[in-house]
This record gives sequence, structure tokens and C-alpha cells, in this order.
Amino acid sequence: MKKALVKDTIKEIKNTYKRFLSILLMAFLGVGFFAGIRACSPDMIHTIDQYFKENHVFDIEVISTLGLTNSDVEAIKKVENVDKVYGTYSKDGIVTLNENELVTKVLCVDDINKPILKKGRLPKNQNECVVEAILFEYSNMNIGDRIKIDIEKVNNDNGKEVPYLKQNELEIVGVVDSPLYISRERGASKLGSGKVNLFLYVTKDNINLTDIYTEIYVTMKNSKEYITSTKQYEDNVDSIKNDIEKIKEDRQKARYEELVESATITLEDAKIKLNNEKTEATEKIAQAEQEMENGKKEIETSENIININKRKADNEFASADAKIAKAKQQIVSGENELKTQETMTNQKIFEAEKTRDIYKSNLNNINNALILINSNYNDVIEVLKNPNLSLEQKEKLEKTKTELEKKKQETESTKNQLEDAIYKIEDGIKIARQELENARIVIASSKTELEQQEKSLQATKNTTYAKIEEARQELNKAKEELTSGKTELEEQKLEVNEKIIEAEGKLIEAEEKIADIEEPSWYILDRNTNPGYVSFIQDTKSIENIGAVFPVVFFVIATLISLTSMTSMVEEERIQIGTLKALGYNKRQIASKYLIYASLACIIGGILGMTLGFLLLPKIIWMMYKMMYTMPNIAISFNFEYGSIGLIVASVCIIGATLYAAMKELIHTPAVLMRPKAPKNGKRVFLERITFIWKHLKFSSKVTIRNIFRYKKRFLMTIIGIFGCTSLIIVGFGIKDSISSILPNQYEKVFNYDMQINLKNSLNNERKDDLVNKLMANDKIKETIEIKSTSATAINGDKTQDIQIIVPKNNEDLGKMIHIADVKSHEVLELKDDEIFITDKVAQLLNVKNGDTIKIENSDKEEKELVIANVIENYVGHYVYMSKSLYEATQEPYDTNLLYVKNNEISEEQEENLSKEMIGMSEVSSITLTSTVMNMMDGTLNSLNYVVVILIVSAGILAFVVLYNLSNVNISERIRELATIKVLGFYDNEVYKYISRETVLLTAIGIVLGIFGGYLLNSFIISTCEINSLRFAKMIEPLSYVYSILITIGFTLIVNIVTYFSLKKINMIESLKSVE
Amino acid sequence: MSYIEFKNVVKTYEMGEININALNKANFSIEKGELVVIVGPSGAGKTTALNILGGMDDVTSGEVIVDEKRVDKLKNKELIKYRREDIGFVFQFYNLVQNLTAKENVELATEICNDSLNPEKVLAKVGLKARMDNFPAQLSGGEQQRVAIARAIAKNPKLLLCDEPTGALDYKTGKQILKLLQDTAKKENMTVLIITHNGAIAPMADKVIHFKNGKSEKVEINDHPVSIEEIEW
Repeated sequence: MKKALVKDTIKEIKNTYKRFLSILLMAFLGVGFFAGIRACSPDMIHTIDQYFKENHVFDIEVISTLGLTNSDVEAIKKVENVDKVYGTYSKDGIVTLNENELVTKVLCVDDINKPILKKGRLPKNQNECVVEAILFEYSNMNIGDRIKIDIEKVNNDNGKEVPYLKQNELEIVGVVDSPLYISRERGASKLGSGKVNLFLYVTKDNINLTDIYTEIYVTMKNSKEYITSTKQYEDNVDSIKNDIEKIKEDRQKARYEELVESATITLEDAKIKLNNEKTEATEKIAQAEQEMENGKKEIETSENIININKRKADNEFASADAKIAKAKQQIVSGENELKTQETMTNQKIFEAEKTRDIYKSNLNNINNALILINSNYNDVIEVLKNPNLSLEQKEKLEKTKTELEKKKQETESTKNQLEDAIYKIEDGIKIARQELENARIVIASSKTELEQQEKSLQATKNTTYAKIEEARQELNKAKEELTSGKTELEEQKLEVNEKIIEAEGKLIEAEEKIADIEEPSWYILDRNTNPGYVSFIQDTKSIENIGAVFPVVFFVIATLISLTSMTSMVEEERIQIGTLKALGYNKRQIASKYLIYASLACIIGGILGMTLGFLLLPKIIWMMYKMMYTMPNIAISFNFEYGSIGLIVASVCIIGATLYAAMKELIHTPAVLMRPKAPKNGKRVFLERITFIWKHLKFSSKVTIRNIFRYKKRFLMTIIGIFGCTSLIIVGFGIKDSISSILPNQYEKVFNYDMQINLKNSLNNERKDDLVNKLMANDKIKETIEIKSTSATAINGDKTQDIQIIVPKNNEDLGKMIHIADVKSHEVLELKDDEIFITDKVAQLLNVKNGDTIKIENSDKEEKELVIANVIENYVGHYVYMSKSLYEATQEPYDTNLLYVKNNEISEEQEENLSKEMIGMSEVSSITLTSTVMNMMDGTLNSLNYVVVILIVSAGILAFVVLYNLSNVNISERIRELATIKVLGFYDNEVYKYISRETVLLTAIGIVLGIFGGYLLNSFIISTCEINSLRFAKMIEPLSYVYSILITIGFTLIVNIVTYFSLKKINMIESLKSVE
Repeated sequence: MSYIEFKNVVKTYEMGEININALNKANFSIEKGELVVIVGPSGAGKTTALNILGGMDDVTSGEVIVDEKRVDKLKNKELIKYRREDIGFVFQFYNLVQNLTAKENVELATEICNDSLNPEKVLAKVGLKARMDNFPAQLSGGEQQRVAIARAIAKNPKLLLCDEPTGALDYKTGKQILKLLQDTAKKENMTVLIITHNGAIAPMADKVIHFKNGKSEKVEINDHPVSIEEIEW
């Protein structure tokens, strides 16, 4: 390229920087949008891929209906391309927090699907666990607190029940995220409300049955090389799955045999045990009977003995009595004898005493005489002592004295004799009396003795008879005991027999069970069954779809704009082109100026656009999804593939348009080029032929209409620009409307209930009825119905979808709580006994319609076919409604687990109080207020407002660039015309009106078309970017149309203001000087 | 005082660092109803003078008086009003709006004037009665220039300014146009200024102003203008 041309190009850019900028801006928008939105999906996939790789998320999961063993692990390890195989455990339990029964999935910390520590540390000991942050939404617990988890016992291979966990009271040591649960969806459970509320991780050594794995996770070799969800990845996973599928049969059989064997051994053991027990029992009974017989005999013997003893005692006592009677008689006669003797003795004593008394008086006399003698004697002595006494005297005296002495002797002897006699008499009396006394004593003592004898005899009699009585009572007791023993024995015999029969029945049952053991089924799954992952990948697909539509709009408009811009530029430079051509420059050289011009705009704009697009758009889109997924922040990548595709497309569009414009001129000869291009000829428009309209049009209107038809291309483009702008803004608002209408649609229109009460497990029907009655009695509550709700999987061909089955207790009650209407005819329907209703979105996902058949997998993993009566209206979640009878026929026994409650008109506060009141009831596990759900989801959905803002801003930029550009082209193309009317004396605002009348009309047309376009585009976008679990209503509020129109008009106005000043600046003289 | 006075008018264009005086103290005057021809070589300042007189350009210094109005002192809006009501312009390249028929082109002008003439009558006057519903592209150059003249005079201006009206026309057609202008001036008693580099037509004018180097070098008064038909060149 010649230097002069380079200079010329640079100058050109300087001089026409507005045009250059507008092309640059178009490239910027086109490439930016294309690359940015396109990059979202790969960036999101890259983010989840990194996340999964960092945390060793499985590639394949194997589960079995009967558990998995180490040999299964070993077998899978041998499969080609399998890298690592992990057997691990998980089971659902119930954690009760603040009266809420939370269904909790208990996982094990392992090297696969590693939990991501957020706080605290990972569990090390049996009694520790880590939880997810959701737990703290239910209670204000903290790290260090303990929670208790109730888990159903599990059967070991011998059919014995053991607790699942060794420790079920666990200390929370940390908070984690799990790569298995990136969304709020925690999957289905057989417990409680049928949904898992939260997960927690325990250590592996807390598991009791470590040799039965609940699942096996497999990673594939070289998995680092593949990006999740890509075809390459899926193909690799599928090939490994196929290989595992090949060993599946053998493994299933092996497990079956293992189970049958261990069950058989257990059965045999049980049989032997039963037989032993039987013999033992028979022996025991025989022994007992023998003992009973012995007892009977013993009793008989004792009875005889007692009888004999009694008779003997009777006899003995009779003779003893006789003896005593005789003794008594003897005593009486002795007494009589004694009496006679007494009388006699007393007589004798009386006489003796009389004699004695006589003797005594004699004695007295004697004594007196003696005294006299003695005194005479003494006198004599005294006198003898007198010496003066003559011998005679003395002799006389001596004689007297001797006489006296003699006399004295004689008296004394008489006295002695008397005294002796008295003594003798007294002694006799004494003796007689003594004898009498003695006799009396003898009799008295014999009497006492006899009395004593009698007494002791009586005592002996008493004790003996008491003893006999006692013995007899004992005997009676023994007899009674024997009788009761007998009945007891009979009872025992019956019992034993019953027990034996029962045990035998159990054995038969066990035998049947063994016979019934079905070969286990393996399910070989991959990441596509993880609900969070699937919806994430689906969301990336939605964005990909948006990415496919929106940039097209921008590219189309960018191309059109560049085409007009460059065409007008080339046309403006016709003469220069002609001159260059005349000077001998070839087409390529001349065209290169314009190509360089366009390329520069394109490349600079494109690179700026993709940079900003890559940086911003994924982040903004991510802001919406961040609310729904627990994931690390999006990893932004500079995606060269999309960047260059965007740039190439933009370049092809813009440079192609330039080349077309340049070539259109270049084919002419220099002579033609150097002549001014003939202005476009005026033409009559069809409207003029309708004279009665045309005649009534104002002059200015006529001019406007004529002009519109004159510059068809440009005006078409203006319309397209406005159309695009309006459409995009309408789509923006439409998305917002669709999304914000979801909640009222679902929770006001479809779900009419105000509360969902989850019942505690294992309530009997009576308590449920009581609760319902209690609730119905509350004046705040209008209606209550009982529901069974459970998660399941709906299947049609190779498509599966997790759904919630809702089964009312009575078919006709459902309509009170849920507005069931056919999605197409809007006819309100009632549940049929033999067919199901399926919600709109799940029908779409499974590709089924009214009258089709789908399969629903029940909790035993059996697939049951069901006929769809109607596809019904629904906006949030996936539901299948069926009747109780159908549920029981295809799923499992019917047992309600929740209540739908509709309130009377009450205030928010009243409702809150009501729910507080109810959560306190012992039957209630948890309460979900519809209003709370709405508020919660509202927050999430609000994030979609970013989309609206992006759309409005980009639509605005688009509209501005398009209008501004077109208006510039319009002015420059018609500069002579405008200068002319200015010369004619049009005021500035008249000149402006001259142009703007056209713009206004075109804007109006563009807006009207934009409304339709927006409506259609909205429908398309809504259906492509719909989130898996939601049904967006394809609706746009009238006010949104108004806003869209106002915003478009606003942008048009800004451009018009700019135009006004451009028009004012038009230099009449320069413009009219000559035709260039 | 004359109807039109051009006193010491200077118009300087700044071209980068160089100042070019397109008009360098130009002086002339024109009486009401005169047909004036301005002649001079290229770059002499004829068009600049005409533009200034037509209210399309401002002056650097000097006075311009039209019918006692100081045109040089007019503000933008007043200038437009001046153009609108007092001035009729005819250009070398007609400057018709291509998308409008002959009649509509005239109407474009009459729409905005208060005491305008009937477009159809004016068109009939310029001899285009039969062609007034034709678009410019369907008309010959001469016819287009007639339309342009009709558009200019339909406004009933005080001053009809023609910048090389025959520059793009062949001899015969050019003559017809000049005839039209001469007739109009005479019949309507309109003041008409015609710029031409063709000095040969000067005898048709009441006054001939010679321009050279931004000055009106010479002003000739022609007491007996000849009809254009009698002029050959």
C-alpha cells in the first residue's frame, strides 16, 4: 500500500471519527456480547469442573439394592480405565432441632467427594461430625455443640439388626460444603417429608457395618484431561459404565449367592437351635410333671401322718386327762381325811393343853413353895452365919437347914417332873400340830402339782393340735400349689407349643425369605443423576442458548449499520475513488483504505468488546446463579475460541459490508465515478394513488411519507434498530415479569394453601385425625387436608426427572388446596383413580403429553407404568398427583405425612403466631409457610434483575448507536436538501422537524414492530433460558410495554437532540457550493 | 439611501494560519427593482457577497443594509426570518428536493411564507403548468432551474439572488432562464441579482457590478438594458 493511502486512511479516521467510533461500537457490542455470553457457559462449566476436580468428585457411582462389598470394589478396580474405586457409606436419619424433624443425609469423610471445610476442622473421632451451614438456619447451634441423629437400624448379612452408627450423638467440629450438593436440592428420602433437608459428614469408623458399602464411587483414569459434561468426558464415562455393566451380572449373582449362603447358614443354625430348644422344653415339662406327681404323693403321705398323729395325740391326751381326774379325786379324799385328823388332833391338843395348864398351876405352886423354902433357907444360912448362936440353936438350925435342904430337893424334883410333863405335853401338841401341817402341805403340794400337770397337759394339747393344724394348712397350701402348678404347667405347655410353632413359622418365613431373595440390581450412575449438577449444567445450556440468540441480533444490526455507514462513506468519496482509479491505482489498493478503516474499527472494537465481555458478562450472569448454587466464584477465562469467532464474525459482517460498498463503486469507470452520483430520483408512493387520503394530508406529512419511501434501506434499518431496541427492552422486562409472576402464579394461583405441616414419623391415624380436628376447630383455619408427599423419579425412555408425588387422602379434597387445571385448555380437573396428573414442566422435560404413559420409580427402585390424564399448570418444582388407590397399587402403602392448611383471612402476625402455636404440637415436625417460601424465593429471583439491566443498557446502546449513525448518514446524504431548506428560511426547529418527522414515524413503526418482536423473542428466550425446576410464564405486563416504549422513545430523543445540533451546524454555503 | 447598501464589507476566512479576505472593503448599492448582474473572475468574491446579502453568511466588518435593515447586525434567528421573508435564492445546481414534485418544491417555500404566491400560478408563469407534478429527475436542466426560480419567486421576496443560474445549462436553455429572470424582474418589479462569470450578458442588466480581488471594482449603470433575446454570446 502506498504511503499516501496510509496517510489518507489515518486522516480519514481523524476526520470521520464519529463514523469510525460507531462502527467500532457496533463491533464492540457484537463481539462483546457474543464472546461474553458465549463464554459464560464454558466459564461456568470450567468453574464446576475445577471445583469437582479439586474435591475429587466421582465420575461414576455404583449402587446396589442389596449393598456392595469389597469384592465388588476389587472387581470394579479391574475394569479398564478405572482409576480409583472407593466404597463408602451414606444413610438418611432424623435430626430434631427446635421441634423440626430434619431429614439428614449422613455421609462419610473420604478421599472422594471431599467436603470443603468452611469453618472449624474435619472430624477425627467417632463422635465428631461436620455439618453444612443450612443447619444453623434451623437452630442457633455452634461448633462444639452436640447433635443427636436417629437412624433406623440396618440388617447385616445374617439378617440381624444393628445400629447404623456406633455413635449417634455427635459433636459438631466444623462447617463444610459438599461438592455433591451444589444446589439447595438435597435429593429424595424415604423419611419425613420425603426430602433430604441437610447433610452431615461423619468419620468412616463410626459406621457399624463397614463391610457393606452403600455406594461405590469410581474415578476414571486421566480424568484431569477431560472437562465435565463435555462430549469427550461423557463418552469416556459411558464407555467405563458399559464396561462395569459387563461385570454387573456376575457381581449381582455373587452378592446374591453370598447373601443366600449366609442366610441359609443362619437358618440352619436357627433350626438346630429350635430343635434344641424344643427338646429342652419337652424335658423340662416332663420334669415338671414328675415333680408335680411327687408333690402329690408327698401331700398324701403328709396327710396320713397328720391324721395318725392326731389320733395318737387324742388318745394320749384322754388318758392324761383321766389320770388327772383320778389324782384330783385322791386329793379330795386326802383333804377329807386331813379334816378328820385335824379335828381329832385338835381335840387331843385341847386336852393336852388342859393337862398342861393344870401342871402349870402346880408348877406355880411348887415354885412358890420353893421360893419360900429358899427364903427360909436363906434365913437359916444368914442366921447360922451369926456366931452368937448357940449350938443347939445351931444344931436346931442345922437340922432345920438340912430339913430344909431336903425339902428343897424334894420340891425341886417335883418341879422338874412337872416341867418335864409340861414339856412333854407341849412337845406332843407341837408334833401333832406339825403333823397336821405336814399333811396339809402334802395335800396342797399334790394339788398344785396336779394343777400344774393339768396346765402343762393343756399346753401340750394346744401346741400339738396347733402343730397338727399347721401341718394341715401347709398341706392345703401344698395342695393348692399343686393345683396352680398344674394349671401353670398346662399354660407353659401351651406357651412352649406356641413358641415352637412361631419359631417354626419364622423358620419357614426365613426359608421363604431366602427363596425370595432377589438378585440385587446394580445401578451404574454418573454425575447426571446429581440434581444440583444436572440443573447447573442445564442452566449453562440455557445461557448457551441465549448466547446463540442475542449476539445474532447484535451482529445483524452491526452488519447493517456498517453497511450503511461504509456505503455512505464510499459514496461520499466517489470522486476521490475515481481520481485514484484514474491515476492508476488498482481496485485492491483503493479498497484497502476502506478495508483498513473498517478493520481497524472492527478489531479495536472487537478486542475491547471481548475483553469487557469476558470480564463482565460471566460475572454478571454468575451473580444470578450464585444465589442458587453453593460454588466457588466463577473462574473467568479469556476464551480465545469464542473471542476469535466473535471477532471473525464481526469482521466478516463489517468488513464484508465495507467491501461490498467499496466494490459497488469500484466497478464503475473513473469517468462515471468523477461525475456526481445522480441523486436518488423522487418517486410517487402508492399512498398518492389513494387520492382521498393523500389530498387530506398536510404538506409536511406528504414530504415525510415520500422521504420514508425514498430512503428505504436506511429507513428499514432505522426500523430494525428501533425494533431491536424495543424488542430487547421488552425481553428484558418480559424476563423480569415472567420471573416475578412465577411466585404469585405458583403460590397464589396454583397452591392455595397457606401452610404445609410436616407430620412427625410414625403417628397413627387416630393422632392424625385428632390433629386435623384440632386444627379445624381453630377459627383461624379454614381447611385442612391430609397428604402423602414423597420424592420419586419419573422416567420416559432415556429421560429422567426427579419429581414429588402428591397423594391426597380423598381425591376430591385436593382441589381445595391446589388449583388443578389443564395447561392448555385451563379446564379445572379432578383427580382420577387410575390416572395421574403431571405438571407442565416435567411433561416438557420428559417429552410427554396427555394420554401418554410414563414410568415412576418407587422406593424399591421398581418402575411402574402410569397413564397421564392431563398435563397441568404449574410454575415451581415438578409434581405428580395421583390417587390413594393408584399410589397403593404402584408405590407403597399409603400413610399421610403432611397437611395442607388453608387459613381464613388473617394478618401476617396472626399467621406467625398460629405457626408458632402449631410447631409446639407434639404431632408436628415442621411448618412451611407459603409466605416464607415466597419471600425466600423472591430474593433469589430478584437476582435476575441484572439480566434486565444488562438488556436495557445494551439495547439502549444499540438503539443509540443505530439511530445516531443512521441520523448522521441521513444528514450527510441529504445535506444539500437540508441546506436548501435552510436557505429557504426554515427555522432550526422546522429543519429539525423536517427530519425528525421521519424519525418519529419510523420510531413509531419500529416500536410497534418491536412490541411484536419483543413478544416473540421473549417467548423464545423464556423457553430457552428457563431454569430446570421453574416454568416461566410467557407474559409481559402492559406496564412493561409502556416502559419499553418510553425507554426507546427516550433513547430516540437523545439521538434527536444530537441531531438537532448537527442540523443547526450545517453550513449552507459549503453544502450548496457545488456537487462535489 | 439606496435600497441595498454594501459598505466597506470585509469577509475574512481563516484557513488554518492563513487569513484570506474574500471580500476586502467591497462597496456597492442597488436600487429597488433593479436587475443587477455581478461579474468577475473566479475567487473575486461575487458569491461571498451574494451569500452575505442573502443572509447565509456573516460579515467580518462593514455594513450591509437591505431595505433599511442592517443585515450584518441580524442574529441567527432574525437572519433565518430575513431569508424566509425577504430573500429568494436560485443556485447553479438548482438544489431542488429530488423527492418532491415541481409543485411540491415550490410549496416547500410557500408553506413557510405569509404572503406567498400561489405555487401553481407561479409555475404557470415560469411555463411549467403542464409539468408541475413531475419530479426533478423527470425534468430537463432548464425546467429544473425554472422550478428553482418559481420556488424563489413564489415566496414573494424582496430580493431574488441568483448564483450562476445558467452555469449548468446549455446556451439556449440558459438564455431562456435569463429571460425568465429579466421578465420577472420587470413584471414583478423585483430586485434581482445575478452572478455570472459570463460578462456577455451584462447588457441585460440595469446595473453591472464588476468584482475583482474582493472588491467591487467598477459599477456600470445601464440606462437602456437590452432584452436577453437580443444578446448573443
